[in-house]
Amino acid sequence: MFKELDPILHSQLRLAVMSLLIGVKEAEFTYIREKTNSTAGNLSVQVQKLKEVGYIDVVKQFKDNYPQTTCKVTPKGIEAFEAYVKALQQYLQAGQQQS
Amino acid sequence: MPEEKQLTEKESLELIASMISKAKNSYIESGVGPLCWGILITLCSLLSFAQVTLKFSIGFDVWLLALFALIPQIIYALRSKKERKFTAHEEAIMDYVWSTFAICMLLLSFYNAVATPSHATALYMMVYGIPTFITGGIRKFRPMIVGGIICWICSLTSLYTSFPNTLLLMAISSGSAWLIPGIILRRRYLKLKHV
Repeated sequence: MFKELDPILHSQLRLAVMSLLIGVKEAEFTYIREKTNSTAGNLSVQVQKLKEVGYIDVVKQFKDNYPQTTCKVTPKGIEAFEAYVKALQQYLQAGQQQS
Repeated sequence: MPEEKQLTEKESLELIASMISKAKNSYIESGVGPLCWGILITLCSLLSFAQVTLKFSIGFDVWLLALFALIPQIIYALRSKKERKFTAHEEAIMDYVWSTFAICMLLLSFYNAVATPSHATALYMMVYGIPTFITGGIRKFRPMIVGGIICWICSLTSLYTSFPNTLLLMAISSGSAWLIPGIILRRRYLKLKHV
């Protein structure tokens, strides 16, 4: 029985953000934008969606009089990401067995 | 990057691998810390050795320079922390490891001043090896792994070596633990920065 892929993670930009954040302790919004080649508006919407489901923590503060947004994966986010990767592997293994 | 593009399972895995790799390759060690300490401790050891063997004095305790070197090091660390756009997992671990080292060095200096042990340099070199070996292991940076081991070998050897030759062992320790790895890291950093 296949597990359904998490619809929150099964989207290109959200998955890119989560994969990037999994590899670091925390990252600034500008760093994520640069690495994902996305626009600020688009990224902002997707970051908000990830925050709403509790996959990431977003901290907004001021640094040298400039607003700074920092994102960090939550334990719930790590769990969801691991489950997503496992489900992907199942799909791929099944695909290989069929071919 | 369009946010709602439907990915195939293969594309998803490729995207995950590529983003993890981007995060992994973002952090480049500048080498300033090890280089600074490597130069300082090696010079202090050699200068102390020269003062004892050649019977001259520079008029102050050369090891006080180590305290002065802490100031630019702290300024540099604070500045790079401020400029940093992300914190790698290993960086957070390294902060703890090297803070532990700094605290141990201060405690050891205090212990040395109060208890005046006969083989104090052996203790210093033993402590030098700990963060160096851990850093080398975590960053998979062989020169620091080797440097850490050399510190411990020098620490052991110093127990059977008379003063001031122990100072030469100290110079070998700091040279191999920080100076050589620091030069390698700095060269690598400058090369990658100009690519």
